[in-house]
Amino acid sequence: MISPFPPSSSRPGNGSLTAHLLPHSISALSKITFQYPLKLISPSPSANQKSVLVFLLTYGGGLVGGDQVHLNIDVKPKARLSIVTQGHTKVFKSTSRDIVTRQRLDVSIEMGAALCLLPDPVQPFEGSVYEQVQKFTLADGASVCLLDWVSAGRTARGEDWDFHAWSGRNELWTASAKGEAGRMLVRDNVFLDGNLGSEKERLLKHRMQNMSICGTLILNGPLMESLAVFFISEFSGLPRIGARDFRSQANVDIDSERKISRQESWRRDRLQLEKDAGLLWSAAKVRGCTVIKFGARTVEGARIWIGSMLKEEGSISEHFGEEATLCVR
Amino acid sequence: MTNEADCSQSQAIENEIADLEQRLRAAKARLGHPPSEAITASTPPIELPHHDTLKPTATHFLFLLSDSALPLGSFAFSSGLESYLAHSRPNSSFPSFLTYSLSSYASTTLPFVLAAHRNPEKLAELDDTLDASIMCTVGRRASVAQGRALLSIWERSFSGAVSARPERSEAISQLKEFALLLRNAASTTSGELPAASAHLGPLFGAIAFIVGLERQETAYVFMLSHVKALLSAAVRASMFGPYHAQKVLASVEVQEGIRDVIQREWNTKVEDAGQSVPVMDLWIGRHEMLYSRIFNS
Repeated sequence: MISPFPPSSSRPGNGSLTAHLLPHSISALSKITFQYPLKLISPSPSANQKSVLVFLLTYGGGLVGGDQVHLNIDVKPKARLSIVTQGHTKVFKSTSRDIVTRQRLDVSIEMGAALCLLPDPVQPFEGSVYEQVQKFTLADGASVCLLDWVSAGRTARGEDWDFHAWSGRNELWTASAKGEAGRMLVRDNVFLDGNLGSEKERLLKHRMQNMSICGTLILNGPLMESLAVFFISEFSGLPRIGARDFRSQANVDIDSERKISRQESWRRDRLQLEKDAGLLWSAAKVRGCTVIKFGARTVEGARIWIGSMLKEEGSISEHFGEEATLCVR
Repeated sequence: MTNEADCSQSQAIENEIADLEQRLRAAKARLGHPPSEAITASTPPIELPHHDTLKPTATHFLFLLSDSALPLGSFAFSSGLESYLAHSRPNSSFPSFLTYSLSSYASTTLPFVLAAHRNPEKLAELDDTLDASIMCTVGRRASVAQGRALLSIWERSFSGAVSARPERSEAISQLKEFALLLRNAASTTSGELPAASAHLGPLFGAIAFIVGLERQETAYVFMLSHVKALLSAAVRASMFGPYHAQKVLASVEVQEGIRDVIQREWNTKVEDAGQSVPVMDLWIGRHEMLYSRIFNS
């Protein structure tokens, strides 16, 4: 029998989200649709929210081998959207190497709008095959802060980069305007291919050099300007590797008694944390974007480090509200 | 009549040969060697094989591009080796680093070399895409410095020596246009997006195509040059001496390593080029943080 209803446009794993600006500069959602296994939740809006908050979730708290999630996000002019998760995005084992679990995000950020995407790390389990593609199209004056990080798996169970394959792709494009095609600003591809052979150097865990987590933070746009400057200046202010302390003992004593400012003491604590967590990071300007790469021996160390950086600088909370940094504190 | 004369002449030559062979045997016997069978059989004179006009040029340029004296300035860069040493002391291992570096360089750059060899007319587009894919300042600087040097070598040294065969002329004019674009981009530094950057990978592929190198040769020379640059950096960083460096360069591991990565990346699309050793980005990016440096990367 022919169905009298129009065919459903909703497909498994697909979702769509539109944020727009209400009067009094309040961002709100005008559209939110999703289909199993994707789930989106937005807390009820309050009058003083700085951005509209959406939880990106999956039923059962993870993606089962072969799940395909595709989310389209449209941030309308001047609206602000924050996306967070509730715990690691777990990727379960695939029954075979050909079954790929995919997550795809297509985001369009319009004039003067902003998106803050600070999720928990992806946690691929042993034997999983995962592919993530995130494409951001930015109009004039649009801002984006995006964090993409992946952990070694269930380290408590002894997993250490034991998945089959993990690939992450982040692209930032300028929006096409006046018939001109958009131009690619940045393409950050990371391919972690499981074990390429039996030799030591070919094992993924060996290639990861004792790191339990690695990630990328990409910043672009006017709202991110001060945060970007902060990261670059903190990076160039790092103590030199292999430098020696040439001060005499007397001078060391004098310096240790000197009163240090709050910022200096924060920096000292942060450097100690970087040391303890074995955290390595670098920051670079790439075609107008600021790209921060980091890796650490512990997931918690990386989380505390990035949370501390964002909190110290403060502009993310200022522009998007405290909730935007939920996953990194 | 002439037949008879020929006959007697060849008879004389044969006699002479027999005589010479007799004397050779006698001389060998004096030395204590038994007469060898191979010598007695007359060997035809070896002729220099005849080539068509293109192939000798290609071989010639293959040697030029693989020569360590090619003035690219590669010796100024260690591709993260120096930084790796500072980060991993005292557990540094050159063989491990070499494996990572080969894998990482091949997965990020080799697809661009191969793509430029396949479609040299897309040089400008490939250059722009590669520019968007390099995630650290130090790596970008190294790639651009060597790319510009290669473009200068082409303009000042190679271009006059390459005959413009019709199938190459298109690529040559593309290269000219690209050089012009680069010069204009340098004079008008507008905003953040450069019109052209001149990264080494795509330029190497395009120039190798123009001088007639096979695609496989191009990939091999490109990766081998990378290994040579690493080894030269290791020697200058006093990790080991030049003999050991040659030993590593000649080793089966390096040969297989290069062959493996070429095979892995042979069909990789440029969109799928990316980092396979994330920590490499950190090492290269943190090179600027070293207290003392002898290399530019």
